[in-house]
Order: sequence, then C-alpha cells, then structure tokens
Amino acid sequence: MIELGYYQALIGLVLVALAIVIARIKKIPTEKEMIVGTIRSFVQLIAVGYALEFIFNSESLWLIILAVVVMTVVGAYTAGQQDRHNKNGFRIALISMSTGSLVTLALMIVLGIITIEARYIIPLAGMLISNSMNASAVTLDRIGSDLKANRLEVETALSLGKNWQESTRRLYRNAVKAGMISILNYLKTVGIVALPGAMTGMILAGASPLKAVLIQIIVSYMLLSAVTITALLSGEMAIRRFFNDAEQFVG
Amino acid sequence: MSCGNVKVLEARAVSRTIRKKGTELTTVDSIDFSFHTGTVYNLVGPSGAGKTSFLRLLNRLDEPTSGEIFYRDKPLREYPPTGLRKKIAMLFQEPYLFEGSVRDNLNYCCPDKYANNIEFHLERAGLKPDMADKEVSGLSMGEKQRVAIARSLFQEPEIFLLDEPTSALDPTSSRKIEQLILKLSQELCLTAIMVTHNPDQARRLGGETLLLVQGKLIESGQTEQVLTEPSTELGRKYINNELS
Repeated sequence: MIELGYYQALIGLVLVALAIVIARIKKIPTEKEMIVGTIRSFVQLIAVGYALEFIFNSESLWLIILAVVVMTVVGAYTAGQQDRHNKNGFRIALISMSTGSLVTLALMIVLGIITIEARYIIPLAGMLISNSMNASAVTLDRIGSDLKANRLEVETALSLGKNWQESTRRLYRNAVKAGMISILNYLKTVGIVALPGAMTGMILAGASPLKAVLIQIIVSYMLLSAVTITALLSGEMAIRRFFNDAEQFVG
Repeated sequence: MSCGNVKVLEARAVSRTIRKKGTELTTVDSIDFSFHTGTVYNLVGPSGAGKTSFLRLLNRLDEPTSGEIFYRDKPLREYPPTGLRKKIAMLFQEPYLFEGSVRDNLNYCCPDKYANNIEFHLERAGLKPDMADKEVSGLSMGEKQRVAIARSLFQEPEIFLLDEPTSALDPTSSRKIEQLILKLSQELCLTAIMVTHNPDQARRLGGETLLLVQGKLIESGQTEQVLTEPSTELGRKYINNELS
C-alpha cells in the first residue's frame, strides 16, 4: 500500500490548481472561495488530526467527553442559526441532537457494538452529530414556515376542539419526514450511487471491503436511529413553542 | 321553539392590545356586552374596527389583555380550552376542509359519535345526503362553507361565531348561508354572532347589531334601529359611509 504523508497531500494541490484554471477559463467567479476553502480545509483537518492523535494517545475519558460536547454545541449552534422563525432554535437543536446522538451511542455501547475508546466514540459521534444537525435544522425551519403558512388549518382544528398536538399533526409529520429525507435517501442508494466516506476510508486504509461494508451497515443504522430521534424531538419542541397553555396559536 | 332568551356569553370591560411593528395597538377597547340564546348578532363596522379581533376572544382563540368573558356565568379561562371551543364554535371567512371526504370532515370533531347520522347532518346544513363520500377538493366554495357549518354542528355548539362566512361567495350562495344561519339559530336555539361588512346582510339577518369603531362598541340594539336611527355621531357616519 502507498504510504501517505504531507508530500502526497501537497501533490494533491495539483488537482486544486487544475480546478482553479478550468474555473478561470470558464469565467466562473469561484477562484477566491476555492483558494480559501482549500487552505481552510487543510488547516482544519491537520488541526483535527493532531487533536485526535493527542486524544487517542491519552485515552482520557474526559477528553473524549469534551470533544463530543464541543462537536454537539457547534452543531446545535449551526442548526439553531438556520431556524428563521424562533430565537430558541439553539436550545431545541442542542436538546434534540444530544438526545438523538447520545441515546444511539449509549445503545451501541450497551449492545457491545463498540467500546468506550476514543477511536470509536469520536468518529462515530462526529457522524451522528453532523447528520443530526442537518435533521434538526431542516425540521426546525420546516415547522416554522409550515405553521405560519397553514394558520387557517391549525386554527380551524383548534376551533373544532382539538389540542395543539392534534391541530398540528399533519404539519408535524411532514416536517419530521423532511428532516429525515436525507438519511432515507442515503439508505436507499448507499452502495449503488455512492460509497460512503467511512467505508471508502477503511478500504483506502487497507481493510477488507467486506469488513468495511459491515462497519458501514452499523453506521447506517446508527445514523437512522439518531436522525429519527433528533427530528422527532426537534419537531415536537419546535411546535410547542408556537402554542401557550390555553391552546392558543401565538406564533 | 322557545329559546328562553338566556344570557350565555358576557363580555365585561374586555380589551385587547397587541404590539405591531414596535407600537402598541388597541384592537378591542373596553367592550361590555351580553349575548343571549337563540339570537343572531351582527358585528358591523368599518375595516380595522376590531370585529374579528373581538370575535376571536369569544372562543379564546386569543386572550383579552384586560377584562373578562363569561360563558354561562363562568370565566372562559376556567373551562378547558378544547371543551370550550366545542361549545363556542367558529367558522372562518375562508372554510378550511381537511383532506379526504365530506364524511371524514364531519367525523373530524368526534369520530363515530354520529357515524350513522351523517346524512341527517348534511341535510340540516342544506346539502344533499349523497354527498357524504364526495372528496372535498371537488366542492364549490358555497358547498365547502356548508360542510364547514355541518362539521361545526357536530360539536353541538351553543354559540356559533361566524367571521364573514359569505364574503367569498356569490350572492345566491351567500343568501342560502344567511337563511341557514337563521334557521339553525331558531331550530337549535343557537346564538349566532356574525361579523359582516355588509349592512344589508345585517338587515336580512335581523336580530341585534353591534357597531364597532376603532375597537370600541359604539352602538348596539335591534338591527333596524342601529342601522337606520343610530344614536351617536359615529353611528350616523357609519350608515352614511363616511367612515373608511
């Protein structure tokens, strides 16, 4: 197998230069973003590499927890920022993403699929949190826009003596489904349209394809579990804040 | 049928203030009024007079900022909101029907309660009994409004709040809805409180009329009297179309 080092990574810049030249010839105004993006990704990934190396070597449980907490908070902040309809987006995203990701991770540990080691917890938590972040962001945004666009439907149901959960059931289901659509499409096409990153990485690192596939199956199910829990909780909490105790739509 | 003219709903010094674009706006201003069984009430007034805002307080879709509303001598806030809204039903300007058939919509409030009685309820709302299994997407606006009325009647309300239910209808359908409201009010002793922009419609419905201007109750009494011999300057301006 080829040994990968900084030299090979720098050689990879030839591909970036090629992309920039093509973009310039075609007059596509992305040159600056491409250069900034290349430098940022290089610096971020190298920094993460060193951080992970340090955490893996130390095997400190506290460092593992700290890394997971930082990932969750940054992810929740990003998801919350995309909620244009309410200021509580961050809090909702944080609770739902933490629950979705931690319940899934805990189950995997309890079921003996993984052990509490940095090399398992950190990459898996990263995948769980980034997928949960997308699910939460989409669900939050969809709830807000759908409730405002369908006020008549909601108030008709309230006027027929329904409570807020019953009055928003259709909108809730649609929003949760929208939050899950990305993982559902992924599950339908995985292995056919694209080989997922974790699996590709393992194969590149020399693992047998069959072993890589087995890991990927576990990862896929784990993502489905985390995304489902996150979308359900985000949807429920997001809808609740539009109603008060008197079953009045105050959004 | 004698409805006994019993007081069912009472507003005492009811006001509502909202915040709009950074400024406070009083949409309902110190209204005192009692509504009685089996009577039709017209809420009239120029645009922005607070008619809909007042109506929405009556089944607690919104909350008064001050004052209190009583249903059967008990404050609205002492009733569970879901139960209260079954007794004080509301019909909106544009009827919203849930996806599915007419039957699905009628069953929405209380599934199975009247499962064998759908046709009776349709006829009572002036619809053909064989419409029960028709998809609501194929109905005309007038039919939709009637289905919405039939659906609300399933709740067995005592009070029916109607927010300009005929504004989207042609004159013929509009008259039919008016006749239906009158009939239901008499037959079921329903108290109907209807927002209307149209003084002629208020005259056809008769009953009592409340004139609201800038959130305040300016005039109230027998419809003919309020709309022909108002006792206030604002009332006279309203009937002379001098209020925007």
